Amino acid sequence: MGIRLFNEPKLHQPDMVVGWPGIGNIGVITVDTLRQETGAEPLGDIEPWDFFYPNKVVIRGGVLEKLEFPSNKFYYKRLEDRDLLLFIGEEQPSERGRMYAEGGKAYEMANLVLDVAEKFGCRRVYTSGAAVALTHHEMRPRVWAVATDDRLLAEAKGYINTVLMSEAEGRGDFGNITGLNGLLTGVARKRGFEAICLMGEIPDYLSRVPFPYPRASQAVLEVLGFALGVPIDPKALDSMVTQIEGVISNVFRQFPQEVREKIDQRKRDVQTRPGIITDEEERWLKEHIDDLFQRGEKGQ
Amino acid sequence: MTGPVQFSSRPELRNPTLVAAWSMDAAGLGLSVTDYLVGKLGGQPFCHIEPVDFFALGGVTIDNDLVQFPESRFYACPEKDLVLFQSTPPSHEWYRFMNLVLEVARDYCHVREFYTVGSMVALGPHSAPRQFFATVSSRELKEELAPYGLTREVNYETPPGGRPTLNSFFLWAARRRNIPGANLWVPVPFYLVSSDDPAACKKVLEFLNHRLGLGLDLSDLDEEARALDERIDRIRASSPDVDRYIRKLENNEGLAEGEGEKLAKEVEELLREEED
Repeated sequence: MGIRLFNEPKLHQPDMVVGWPGIGNIGVITVDTLRQETGAEPLGDIEPWDFFYPNKVVIRGGVLEKLEFPSNKFYYKRLEDRDLLLFIGEEQPSERGRMYAEGGKAYEMANLVLDVAEKFGCRRVYTSGAAVALTHHEMRPRVWAVATDDRLLAEAKGYINTVLMSEAEGRGDFGNITGLNGLLTGVARKRGFEAICLMGEIPDYLSRVPFPYPRASQAVLEVLGFALGVPIDPKALDSMVTQIEGVISNVFRQFPQEVREKIDQRKRDVQTRPGIITDEEERWLKEHIDDLFQRGEKGQ
Repeated sequence: MTGPVQFSSRPELRNPTLVAAWSMDAAGLGLSVTDYLVGKLGGQPFCHIEPVDFFALGGVTIDNDLVQFPESRFYACPEKDLVLFQSTPPSHEWYRFMNLVLEVARDYCHVREFYTVGSMVALGPHSAPRQFFATVSSRELKEELAPYGLTREVNYETPPGGRPTLNSFFLWAARRRNIPGANLWVPVPFYLVSSDDPAACKKVLEFLNHRLGLGLDLSDLDEEARALDERIDRIRASSPDVDRYIRKLENNEGLAEGEGEKLAKEVEELLREEED
């Protein structure tokens, strides 16, 4: 079990940005777009077979040609000031068939990612994920931040369009971040790295749909560009955003009127946190959301 | 070896062949074949893998009022220099699990080659001859197995959203350890996936019998296959729908939507009623 490096460039104080799939695939889309925007090059990967079940077999002429696994790749980019390391995981390693990693495998993977960070002199790690929020899909998603120390929190407060997790929706001082996008920050803290997790807001009623939510990735990307000093094309995800918004709008029109009104109320008065969906309405959404999205997709 | 691998005895083997099977494949083919070999060759259990690291042990499953529990067990047939392995498919830590199997096979048993037994669901009728093919770990083994007529030019890629079989994973893991082997596959008629398919079982055993020189008389499987055919004939006589659907399959006509499901359900129920 280990890390395979394709090359070993000398990097100058790189920051690392890490993303795994999760709600709305916000983290992984963010980091992959950052990879494309910066033209980052492959650096290495983590041997996958100890973590994952394979996702493809290729047989040619009756002979096993290859077996493929979910990828876990590192990339790097030399920049003017601080260089950049990226890690993109195609799946979260799960010990019990769950979507989110936990337990020994998750801890092992988090440590392997940080081993690479350490090897190249990185001291700061950003992870990215989803913040399920009482927001509206037509509103600009904010970015919630948590960090491993107060100095970083103060820095994060200065980022554009960013709020600290405790300030968002009056959540109070306690919360949690499920899966590796969260766990990595904990392991980073244990190992003495600086770590910030940036979470793009996704409306609560979209948190279970099997679609990406690129508007939130766009918001996180904007913050990362600012924090890292990397110019990012603000239109980088526009076509995906437009496509998904079409699907969401289609589905939203099929919500019961009272649910729609309540959600629309969120747009009118952001400050007072109106439009909390009742338990009954939430049940309705859970029961119907997959069906509505299938119909919405066909309607495209 | 310590840890999850537990030996209960140390049989003397030279350079045996390993035949491995997982439970829960169509028609229970893997277990039928390996059970048959254990029974006919007097296979003795000598080693097992403890389940705790590889299976979700949050309770037990019940099948026909019988408690089921994950088992992963090796049997030795020293006279025929054969090792058999039967297991419930692990639910996680697959690669580690396979490495334990391969460690027992290579480091303790000095296995020279292996075969896994698996089935797949076929859309053809039970009255058609069973097909049989293999996917192999190397071109050399493919050539070696050519005289047995089972190495077809299979080309396959897992479709998007699908996952490879555990047998493919095992073949790959074994190749990494330089253990040559093949996955043996027999397509089983879709309406027999919940029962036994002695014709499919015989197809695999015929190959193993020849390849490994086991000297087995397999005529009892012909009897079982005939008995199953007769039972299905009786079902066809009592159910015009079943007869019509099977006739369609025999005439290479496709079934309409819902007919396949109905055929499978009726055959399964009626076979079970006959058994009761």
